[in-house]
Amino acid sequence: MAKEQTIVREFKVENKYGIHARPAALLVKVAGKFACEILIGKKGSEVSAKSIMGLLTIEGHQGAVLYVQATGEDAEEAMEGIAELFEKKFFED
Amino acid sequence: MAITLQELLEAGEERLSLELVWGEKYLKRTIEEKAINRPGLALTGFFQYFAQRRLQVFGLAEFTYLKSLGVKERETRLRAILEKNVPGIIIARNRNPLPELRTLAEEYKTPLFRTTMITSHFINESTVLIEELTAPRGRVQGTMLDVMGIGVLLQGRAGIGKSETALSLIEKGYSLVSDDVTEVVKNSRGRIMASANEMTRYHMEIRGVGIVHVPSLFGMGSIRRETELDIVIDFHPYVNDADEDRTGMMPSEIDVLDVKLPYYALPVSPGRDMANMVETTALNHKLKMLGHDAAKELDEKVIGTFLNRSGK
Repeated sequence: MAKEQTIVREFKVENKYGIHARPAALLVKVAGKFACEILIGKKGSEVSAKSIMGLLTIEGHQGAVLYVQATGEDAEEAMEGIAELFEKKFFED
Repeated sequence: MAITLQELLEAGEERLSLELVWGEKYLKRTIEEKAINRPGLALTGFFQYFAQRRLQVFGLAEFTYLKSLGVKERETRLRAILEKNVPGIIIARNRNPLPELRTLAEEYKTPLFRTTMITSHFINESTVLIEELTAPRGRVQGTMLDVMGIGVLLQGRAGIGKSETALSLIEKGYSLVSDDVTEVVKNSRGRIMASANEMTRYHMEIRGVGIVHVPSLFGMGSIRRETELDIVIDFHPYVNDADEDRTGMMPSEIDVLDVKLPYYALPVSPGRDMANMVETTALNHKLKMLGHDAAKELDEKVIGTFLNRSGK
């Protein structure tokens, strides 16, 4: 069993329309696959990455830098999944 | 789907005041084209276009015209129509068939009917009736409700709580159309009309309680005979990473009698008040139909704001 761990990373939003409803739904879908707790947002005002309504409040426009923190046994895998979404610009543009 | 004269006579006895004058043996004939024709032009000898697959109605105009002809000519003109093997002839205004018509009907084995209605009313009424008789119909598994004027069909596997949810919705003041098995008919506007099976109409089976008669328990307001089917809601057990639509921006559709209907899959889990879920889904659908799509509008607002920010 993997150990309880906390991973922190920062991502820049690259896609033109930012984290609107569709990318938010994608994030929730990926985050929902993991048991760990995932927080995302401007540092100090994060929301759960498993909440669509939360994700729409973090102002993830193009160019915004978002802080992501995953805590739990599967934090590493979860972070990889999230990183992929940001790298692939949420399959937009 | 073609109907026989027999079916028309049975359905039209009351609604069309239809009566058979002659031809009981030939009622198995089918009406190939579901419309009514007035053979006025054909009576004058014009056959370049003649709707011979339709029922022919003789009204006041046809009668007056035939009367103006000599007996021999009358026979010739009528024969020309009967020769075309029309499915049946109807005489309006409760007139007695002219003797020539009666003889020719027997000769060509063409059933002859009579109605007390005037021609124009008969044409309207019979067109509607034939349309109803030939409409595509079927039966679907599911409980049908009217939620604030929105026809909702609840589907889902046995035991997932369709009837229980229906019961809660009835208590909230909405009406039941049918429980568990719903009869559907596609009307001439291409809409699906849903109703209950005659036998079990207004009854429900509730696990642990048994069979109940809904209007006896909840009053006449709790039932509706028929309603248009607007949306299909499917209950399914909650599974975590189901490919579900979390925003409501990716609508699904389902086919009922070849009509595409909006389809909403609602996950069921402990603590989720399904009656409330159905009510909200129906209301949100109504809102969308009025052109107000909350998910889309919020998304546009978010995108608009983000584009402004990233532009700076």
